[in-house]
Amino acid sequence: MKTLQSLSLATLLLAGGAWAGDHRYALSPTYAAECGSCHVAYPPALMDAAGWKVTLQQLERHFGSDASLEPQAQREIASLLQAQASTRSAHEGKGAAPRLTTTAWFQRKHRPEELRGYPLPKVPAGARATPMAQCQQCHRRAEQGDFGEGSLQPADGRR
Amino acid sequence: MYFPRPLAMGVALALLAGSTLAASPTSPAELQAAWLAEARQSNPALRAFSAERGRSFFSTTHGSDWSCASCHTSNPGQGGAHAVTRKLIEPLAPAANPRRFSDAAKVDKWFGRNCKDVLGRACTAEEKGDLLAYLLTVKP
Repeated sequence: MKTLQSLSLATLLLAGGAWAGDHRYALSPTYAAECGSCHVAYPPALMDAAGWKVTLQQLERHFGSDASLEPQAQREIASLLQAQASTRSAHEGKGAAPRLTTTAWFQRKHRPEELRGYPLPKVPAGARATPMAQCQQCHRRAEQGDFGEGSLQPADGRR
Repeated sequence: MYFPRPLAMGVALALLAGSTLAASPTSPAELQAAWLAEARQSNPALRAFSAERGRSFFSTTHGSDWSCASCHTSNPGQGGAHAVTRKLIEPLAPAANPRRFSDAAKVDKWFGRNCKDVLGRACTAEEKGDLLAYLLTVKP
């Protein structure tokens, strides 16, 4: 029975969510494929349901790119995000185009004193790249849903 | 076989997720044939697609900031990176990446998105055919 329980627990984690506390997130294959082509598949648990709802309503104009989905994928991802969204006010998505990077939680975790030794990636003048969208530059296992401190490395590779 | 309910649910979810990603297999040759038939409806004189027109379509902007090359780089035989997020993009040329142009749904999805980003409208069958004709000439 114990095995069954831990199996069930593992499945729930895989199907639904995060390993609490260590910032590792399980991502569904659909979500990873559809929302992880142009940027890291951001963990659904880092924004609230209202923020995700607004985001999904305007995928044709998604931060300057068309990211529209087929209806079936749109439905699947909408329900996945509603199920996995954060319920913490610190994760509230703000404004007309909510960003994970402007939630209170994200800003606190990335304030200057937290970033000491981990400078943001440099962006050439005139380039449209945004440093904060490049999770993978410091969170080296971000593509695997792992934002734990163990896989953190400065963007320039030195430590 | 007995599955505890959450596990069974997980399996069902995984199958469901798989269904969205179901491939619709195709090949560059098949796509070219379909686009040629479509392009001839508006341009009956069209004999074949032009790799040269495709190359120029790929590397120039079309009234806005971006060209195809902004993300796929000027050498689609090599990988690129997204202009905003720097996320790595695998090579676009089939010779360098055989998964490209092998799934019709994926081809439609990405032309749908990227043509709107680069041209502000959908690409025509002739533009898609020329582009693929060019990509087929690119070596890794």
